[in-house]
Amino acid sequence: MSEQFDLIKYLSDSVDSLLDYMKKKSPERLWMFEVQKSQWGDIYNAHKDGKKLIYVSACVPPELIFAFDCVPCLLDAIPTRLASQPELSSKYIDFAEQFVPPTMCAIDKVDVGTVFSGDMVEKPDAFIYTTYPCDNSRAIYPAIEKKLGVPTFAIDAPFRKDDRGYRYLADQYKDMVVFLEELTGKKLDWDRFEEVMDISNQTNILMDKVSTLRKRVPCPLPSRLLILNELQLQMIGHPGLLKFFENQYKVGMSNIENGIGAVPDEKYRVTWLQNMLWSNAGIMDWMEKKYGAVLIMDAFGYQKAPLFEDPKDRERVFMDCGRKALASPMIHGASGPAEIYLDLVDQVMDEYSINVAMFVGHVGCKHTWAAAKMVKDTIAEKYDLPTLLMDIDACDARYKSTEEIKEIISEYMESVVGAKPIQ
Amino acid sequence: MDSLLMKSNIRNTSIEEWKQKGGKTIGTICCHVPGEIFHAAGLLPVRLRATGCTDDSEGEVWMSSFACSFARSCFELLLDGTYDFLDGIVSSDGCSMATRIYDNYKYYKKKEDSNKFYLKDIGAPRINNTKHALPYYISELNELKAGLENHFGVEITEEKLKKSIAVFNESRELVRELYELRKSDAPVITGADSLKITLASVSMPPEEFNAMLKKYLAELKTRKPLNDYRARLMLIGSAIDDPEYIKVIEDKGGLVVCDATCYGSRQLWEPVACEGEAIASIAKSYLDKTVCPRMSQVSTHNELYDMIIRMVKDFKVDGIVYAKMKNCQVWGSETLYFEDDLKAANIPLLVVEREEIMTNAGQLAIRAEAFIEMVEKEDN
Repeated sequence: MSEQFDLIKYLSDSVDSLLDYMKKKSPERLWMFEVQKSQWGDIYNAHKDGKKLIYVSACVPPELIFAFDCVPCLLDAIPTRLASQPELSSKYIDFAEQFVPPTMCAIDKVDVGTVFSGDMVEKPDAFIYTTYPCDNSRAIYPAIEKKLGVPTFAIDAPFRKDDRGYRYLADQYKDMVVFLEELTGKKLDWDRFEEVMDISNQTNILMDKVSTLRKRVPCPLPSRLLILNELQLQMIGHPGLLKFFENQYKVGMSNIENGIGAVPDEKYRVTWLQNMLWSNAGIMDWMEKKYGAVLIMDAFGYQKAPLFEDPKDRERVFMDCGRKALASPMIHGASGPAEIYLDLVDQVMDEYSINVAMFVGHVGCKHTWAAAKMVKDTIAEKYDLPTLLMDIDACDARYKSTEEIKEIISEYMESVVGAKPIQ
Repeated sequence: MDSLLMKSNIRNTSIEEWKQKGGKTIGTICCHVPGEIFHAAGLLPVRLRATGCTDDSEGEVWMSSFACSFARSCFELLLDGTYDFLDGIVSSDGCSMATRIYDNYKYYKKKEDSNKFYLKDIGAPRINNTKHALPYYISELNELKAGLENHFGVEITEEKLKKSIAVFNESRELVRELYELRKSDAPVITGADSLKITLASVSMPPEEFNAMLKKYLAELKTRKPLNDYRARLMLIGSAIDDPEYIKVIEDKGGLVVCDATCYGSRQLWEPVACEGEAIASIAKSYLDKTVCPRMSQVSTHNELYDMIIRMVKDFKVDGIVYAKMKNCQVWGSETLYFEDDLKAANIPLLVVEREEIMTNAGQLAIRAEAFIEMVEKEDN
C-alpha cells in the first residue's frame, strides 16, 4: 500500500528547498520566500510546536487566532499555492468532481479534494468558517465540517457593509472568542491580543504605503508581488508578514531613489479586474517583457485596510474586526452588492493611472462574471477605455493553455491598445 | 377570467386588473423577501421567474454564459418588457446569482434617472442557529417596511401585517391541502398542473388565489383519478418554474407527486406562526423554514434531507429526479450531503442537468423514461 501523501509537509519542504536555492542564487530576494516559510512551516509544525492548528476561511480574523497562540490554515490559500503545479491541483480537482459540479470554482474544488482525499494528513484541532466569499464556499464548508468532524464554529457574514453588518460580525467574533477559550482551555489574553493588533496595524500601514508606491509612474514594484500580498488574508498579525512588507517597502523606496521601475521602460499600466491568475502567473512576467506592461493593481488587490483604532477599547476592537473583514480583498469586491465592486474598480482606475483594463475572469467566480458588463461599461463611460474580457481558470491550468492566453492578450494589446512588442 | 392554471403565466389577467385599478406591484427575488409585508402595504408582490423564456441572449450579454441560466433568463424578461408592470424590485441575497439580477437591473435603471421605481436589497442570514441572526434579519425587514412606507406613502400597521399573515397562511394551508391530494394512490392532479398552481400563488393577489384554489380543490375532489402512471416521482432542485419541464417527465409515465423546489412546496409550506410582533414573527418563520441549501450550516442540509425522506415516505415516492441547474452551486453541490444517504436508504436517484430554456427536452425524456422503467413497480 502506498504511503499517504502529506500535502502540508510537501508545501513546507518545497519552501525549504526554494529558500536554500535562493540563499545561493539571489539572497537579496530571500525575504519573498521567508514569508512563505512562515506560512507553510508554521502550519506543518503547529502540533510539533504544541500549538492548535485551526482551519479557517476568509473573514476569520487571524489576529484572534494568533492571540490564542494557535496557527491558522486558510483553506483557500492551498488552491492558490498549488495552482502553478497542475499535476497536483488537477489531482484534487478531479477528485472533488466526484462530489461537486464541474462548474464549481476550482478553489473550492481543491479545498474539497485536499480534505476529502486525506492528503491533509495532520487533523486540525478546529475549523472556523464564515459564509463568505461566495456560493461555492458556502456550499462546501459545511461538507468539510462534516468530513473533518472536529469542533467547528461558523460565522454568518452579512450582506451589508455598514455599521449593522460590522455589529453583526462583531457579536459573532465575541462568540468565536468563547469558542477558542473552550478549545484552548485558556482565556483570551488581551495584552497578547494587543501585541498582535499592533503588528497587524504596522503591517496594514506598510501595505497602504506599498500600494501608494505602486501609484508612482513608473511602478517601482513588479506585477508578481501582488500575489504575495495576498498572504495578508491568512497572516495579518504575524511578524513574518510584517517583515515581508518592511522589505517590500524598502525595495520599492530604493527603486524609486535609483530611478528603477518594475520594467526598464514602462509603457502600459495594467489592471486585472477579477481574481489573480494563480495558475499562470508567468503571464505577468511575459506582459512586462513583451509590452512593458506592468500589472499595477488588481481589483481584489491588497491596498488598504482599516486599522484597530484603539486596541484597549474592547468593544471597538470587535467592530474593527468586522470592518477589516468586510474590507478585505475578494470580500470587498466580490461579495455583497455589486456597487461596492464597481466603486473599487473606479478607485483602482483613478488612483493608479491605469491605461489598460483586463477582466481576467476566473470561470468559477460566476457572480463576478455576472457583473462583468457593469465593470466594462463603468470603465468605458468614465475612462473611455475598452476592457478585455478573458475567461480563465485561476486554479486549473488545464482550462486554457499559456499560448492561448498569450494570443488573446497579444491580439488585444496590438489591435485594440495599439501596443508594439518590445521583443 | 383566466382559470387558476392560466394565472401561472407571468403576465396574467389578475395582474392586468390590479394595474388597471391603479395598484402597484413589486417584483421580489428569492425566498427571503416576505410577501406579507408588501401585501400589508397594499402592494402586490410578484415573485420574479422566467417561466416560458425562450431567449436569454441579452441576459447573457449582461451576466455572461457563466451565470446560471435561470438568473440570466429572469434578467432577460426584465429587459424585454415582460415585467413592465412592476413598480419596484426587492431582492434578498438568496444566492449570488439572484443578487446579480438585482444589481444589474439597478445599474440598468440608473440610466433612466428616475426615483419612481423602488429598488431595495436586503440581507438574509445563512446561519440561523445563533442568537444574532434573527435580530439582524428583523432589522433588515424593518428597514424594508420603512422604505416601502416612505416610497409609497403608506402606513404598514401591526394590524395590517397580522391580516396579511392570515391571508398568506390560508394560501399555505390550501397548498398543503392540494399536496395532501397528491399523496393518494390515485392522485387527481399532475405535477405539472400542481406547479402551475404554486406559480399562480406568486403572480396574483393572494385573496383571489385563495378563492380560486378553494374552488379548484373542490372540483379536484370530484375528478377521475390518474391511474395510468408507471412511477411516483419526487422532483428536487432549485428554481424549477417551468411546468413544461415536468410535463416532459410525466409524458413518459412518471407522475411527479411532490417536490422540494423553489417554486413548489418549499415556498408555501410552513405557516407563519404569529406570536408577538408581526415583523418578528415573519422573520422567524422565513428564517427557520427549510427552503434552500443556500444556508451554510450542516443542520440545514440535514433538515433538507430529512424533509426529502419524509416526503418520499408520505407521498410513496418510487424515485427522485434531481434537476441540477447548470452553474447553480447552491443546489448543485447538494449531492455532497445526501447522495450516499439516499443510496443507503435505497432511494433511486436520477440526476439531470438543467438549463432554464428547455433545449434538452429530448435528452430529459430519454433519461426520464429509462429511470421510470427502472423504478416502476408492478402495482403502480
